[in-house]
Amino acid sequence: MGKAAKLPKHNRFCAIKAASWFFTSLAFVAVTAGLILLLVESIPVWRHSGLEFITGRNWFYRAREFGALPMIYGSLQVAVIAILIAAPIAVGAAIFGTEFLSGRLRIGLKIVIELLAGIPSVIYGLLGILLLRNWVYDSMESLDILSGDTLLTAGILLAVMILPTIMTLADDALQSVPRAQRMAARSLGLTATETAINISLRGAFPGLIAAVLLAMGRALGETIAVFLVVGRQDNQLPESLFSFQPLVESGQTLTSKLGGSETNIAYGEPLHWGAMLGLGILLMIMVTALTFAGLGLQNLARRKNET
Amino acid sequence: MKRKFFDLLFRTATCLCVVFSCAVLLAIIGFIVKQGSSAVSRAFLTGEITGAGASGGIFYNLVGTGILLATTFLVSAPTALSIALLHGVYLRNYRHREKITILLYILNGIPGILFGIVGLVVFVQWFGWGKSWLAGGILLGFMILPTVSVTLIERIASIPRKYIEAAAGLGLRQSEIVRSVILPQSAGGLATGLLLGLARAAGETAPIMFTATIFAGATIPNGIRENPVLSLPYHIFILAQDSYSPEVNSRLWAAALVLVILVFAMSIVALPARLKIHEEADHG
Repeated sequence: MGKAAKLPKHNRFCAIKAASWFFTSLAFVAVTAGLILLLVESIPVWRHSGLEFITGRNWFYRAREFGALPMIYGSLQVAVIAILIAAPIAVGAAIFGTEFLSGRLRIGLKIVIELLAGIPSVIYGLLGILLLRNWVYDSMESLDILSGDTLLTAGILLAVMILPTIMTLADDALQSVPRAQRMAARSLGLTATETAINISLRGAFPGLIAAVLLAMGRALGETIAVFLVVGRQDNQLPESLFSFQPLVESGQTLTSKLGGSETNIAYGEPLHWGAMLGLGILLMIMVTALTFAGLGLQNLARRKNET
Repeated sequence: MKRKFFDLLFRTATCLCVVFSCAVLLAIIGFIVKQGSSAVSRAFLTGEITGAGASGGIFYNLVGTGILLATTFLVSAPTALSIALLHGVYLRNYRHREKITILLYILNGIPGILFGIVGLVVFVQWFGWGKSWLAGGILLGFMILPTVSVTLIERIASIPRKYIEAAAGLGLRQSEIVRSVILPQSAGGLATGLLLGLARAAGETAPIMFTATIFAGATIPNGIRENPVLSLPYHIFILAQDSYSPEVNSRLWAAALVLVILVFAMSIVALPARLKIHEEADHG
């Protein structure tokens, strides 16, 4: 993108240029103001609970007790399940697309991916509520579960939703490995598979990790679909992080809490509202950290493949 | 022999991943069409919602989504064009351009629900609009800004250098080159980006559920304050939560089908152009 042609410079007033600066600044100020607003409005809860807000295990707003840990756990748990399911499939498909497909078939695959990405999350939620929920309930019956609304259900649903995200980004990463390296490997007698593994996958590795991180950010922020199938049960923090049982119980994520009716109740009561916005900030921090990490890795990959 | 076998195994495994992805898409579409097509009719598309979704149609939901999308368009088109021109033309320093791109990626990552929460504070409470179509349109406009801007930035970057050099050689000033070369050459990119962005905005629920849309009882807005609209995604969102009667169910799937058709129609028009630019940029 750095190769756009330079235009002759001149210093006279130009309406288009002025308008460009105006609208861009306006957008920048609006978004920044929005973020500052989140921070400022959440101050009451940090005053009230301090770091207990992050480490607290209980959320009872009538008792003025605000602990976000079960929701942080819920969010991370569904995102990790989604990544574990989606990443291998998505990367596999991206490899097939770049290494073994060409021309129209490749474009065809990309269109399939983009359409999959285009399905609105409320539709995924609907499919989750009417199909996936029952399926999870039926197949997990032996575990004595109460309903099909579980963290696992949300995770599986999210896996389908982030599949196209990982695929697109993984495809970009694989494409950016120089063709000459692949040809050199083939001419040394390596099979297509050996080339794919030793050259493409290795060269694209940082980019692939970036794809997974960015998709995880997407999964953390997804609201509607998760909201519909996660059960929205507060204060569900398991004793052990590594047992399976909590996954087939209802839970709450940061986003499902923010999307729920408590948001409407909370406004007007500064502390409660501050706690809700505090959840928003935690979400924002997690997502932005993943975005930065992903972008950083992508940059690294680009530099690696250029030299 | 072992290597050949492994090669075959790897090809099959990765191929299965592709087949699986395509199968998921087909299954989803197939299922929605099967469940929803029987209830889609002219009366359904032109009727008002009655009986909490059990009877009647989705006319004002379509109108509401249309109003939201039109507002989104008006908010995002000039802003995205400005950002892209700044990035592609007016900013000469590579670092400054890079900053714009990074900010766009961060904006792209912000979850929709946070737009909704901020909108709830600013528009619903501070501005005293209550739920209003304008709030929803503005929020959605900001949400799709990265999609539209990045598509446009890629398009401007791929304008052949010789066009600009030729224009400069003819003695055109910067503003004239922008008007006579860059804007016409990037119009396609703006259209593509807007279609993709609007396709995304059409299905978004989280940013508008607290700020712009209600389930029943709104028609065409006649002002800004306390003027919510109905919308297709929120309709589906509410019905999905609390209805198990078959009457509602078939209408619910029909609404889902209409939404998917709406979204796909916009994406399918836009996709080939975008993919082509993208592929060329990769190999160029």
